[in-house]
Amino acid sequence: MSSLFDLPFDEPESEPKDAAPAARERPSTPPASSGSTLSNIEPSTVSNVEPSRPGRTVITVSDLTANIRDILENAYSEVWVEAEISNCRLWNTGHLYFTLKDPASQIKAVMFRSDVRTLKFKPEDGLHVVVRGRVSVYEPKGEYQLVCERMEPHGLGALQLAFDQLKRRLHAEGLFDAARKRALPALPRKIGIVTSLDGAAIRDILKVLGRRYPNAHVIIRPARVQGEGAAAEVAQGIRDIVKIPGIDVVIVGRGGGSIEDLWAFNEEPVARAMAASPVPIISAVGHEVDVTIADFAADVRAPTPSAAAEIVVARKEDFCGHIERLSDRLSAAVRGSIARMESRIHQLNRRPGFAGWSAHLALRGRHCAETTHALRHAARAAVNRQLRVYQGLRLQLEQFDLRRRLGGVRARLVGVDGDLRAAARRRHHRAEARLQTCAARLDSLSPLAVLGRGYAVVWDESRTHVIRVATEVKRGDAVRVTLSQGELECKVVKTDGLDN
Amino acid sequence: MDSTIKDFEAAIAELETIVKKLEEGDLALEKSLELYERGVQLSRFCHTRLEEAEKRIEILNERGDLRPAGAAFSKDDK
Repeated sequence: MSSLFDLPFDEPESEPKDAAPAARERPSTPPASSGSTLSNIEPSTVSNVEPSRPGRTVITVSDLTANIRDILENAYSEVWVEAEISNCRLWNTGHLYFTLKDPASQIKAVMFRSDVRTLKFKPEDGLHVVVRGRVSVYEPKGEYQLVCERMEPHGLGALQLAFDQLKRRLHAEGLFDAARKRALPALPRKIGIVTSLDGAAIRDILKVLGRRYPNAHVIIRPARVQGEGAAAEVAQGIRDIVKIPGIDVVIVGRGGGSIEDLWAFNEEPVARAMAASPVPIISAVGHEVDVTIADFAADVRAPTPSAAAEIVVARKEDFCGHIERLSDRLSAAVRGSIARMESRIHQLNRRPGFAGWSAHLALRGRHCAETTHALRHAARAAVNRQLRVYQGLRLQLEQFDLRRRLGGVRARLVGVDGDLRAAARRRHHRAEARLQTCAARLDSLSPLAVLGRGYAVVWDESRTHVIRVATEVKRGDAVRVTLSQGELECKVVKTDGLDN
Repeated sequence: MDSTIKDFEAAIAELETIVKKLEEGDLALEKSLELYERGVQLSRFCHTRLEEAEKRIEILNERGDLRPAGAAFSKDDK
């Protein structure tokens, strides 16, 4: 137990501050009760100490302190003290150290961890409390203190105080801020419920869901909802269930009961778990009149568990209705849009520029057909005209046809040919006659005819020269003599020129 | 389901936007038909999701296991 005393009283800072002024204010006379007990020092405790002088009892500090301790601890094994808390510190060992004081006095006090845990509220400086405890002496330092086992707020109920404190603290932290509140999902894929399986709450919730949301997927995380450790279970339940994929909303609560029964929902761990949840939380604790810290920490407060289920269902029904309305509006909007387009098209169709177009086209078409007809007609006339010219020219041309002209030429040629032959024949006859005449005349003139009459012609030997004079030859020369019939080769025997 | 639809909230928010746009008019026919198709798709998604969930009650234990709640917690309990 002494180890519990080590830390606080070794700490220098806390002591001088409060102790000094308190010491000055302390009345000079000790309280009546302590005065009477101090006189009860047992002789045995001093017997073995060496006396310095006869008649004088001398004892050690340890003996004295031990005596004081025995006296004090026996005399004040259970006292109730009303006081104000100051210098309150919760050490990390879990023990609570504080000073209890009234305007005139103070006493150091401690509350051990196991007792601190039972406190519903948080002791803090300035709090007016009533404590039950016993006095204990710490011998190494000669100090005494009150070891508190119970503590209650003075005047106010402890639970109420605890509620107010936590509410104030969490509110100051911003845990209840409206901005933190999340909207509930329109259509939760899975609905989480953290409550007791034995309570009325789960049945109420499932009854509502069964009636109005028959295809809901519900996950229940059982948790004790009252008694020691319930808050931790509920908090753990919240932390566990929000990890389930698809959980979109969690109902946390229980049915009605006394304030003590509902207390778990006034504890910090539950509020913290709700605030830390990634999905919206609906608190559903007790009845309408019961308001818990959980109600402030949750995203939505339902007055009862049934109401929590109704809230979920209402969101779903709102959602369904909303979809229906949106679907209707969607269809109406697109129908309207199409109708507007249609009427625009009709209007455009009726515009003269568009409506007259087909008539205009028909007229143009007719004009086009007529023009085509005229063109064809004209073309044909032109061709015919040209054809006639051609035929005239052709007739003219035929008159100059070579074949016709050749016939004429040939006929003339035949005539001319006959004439030519007759003329030729006539000339031939004429030439023949002249020839006969000439031949007869020639005969009459022929020298041969003279030969007939006995004349001869003497030629030189080569018969190229007619010898007319005898001297042209000499004796022995050969000469040729032509007679009327045949010739003679002759030798000159004598020449007889006729000289004169 | 349709991968372009995130969840209900997104679906309904988009559906609302589409309806508003269509109601305002001034859209090309193709655009409005496109929006309408998307709207119908979203609306169907919502309806399907409304119907598709099957009634189920499960209990999550401390170890994180899920098991059916059994007849004791049937929602038909009247």
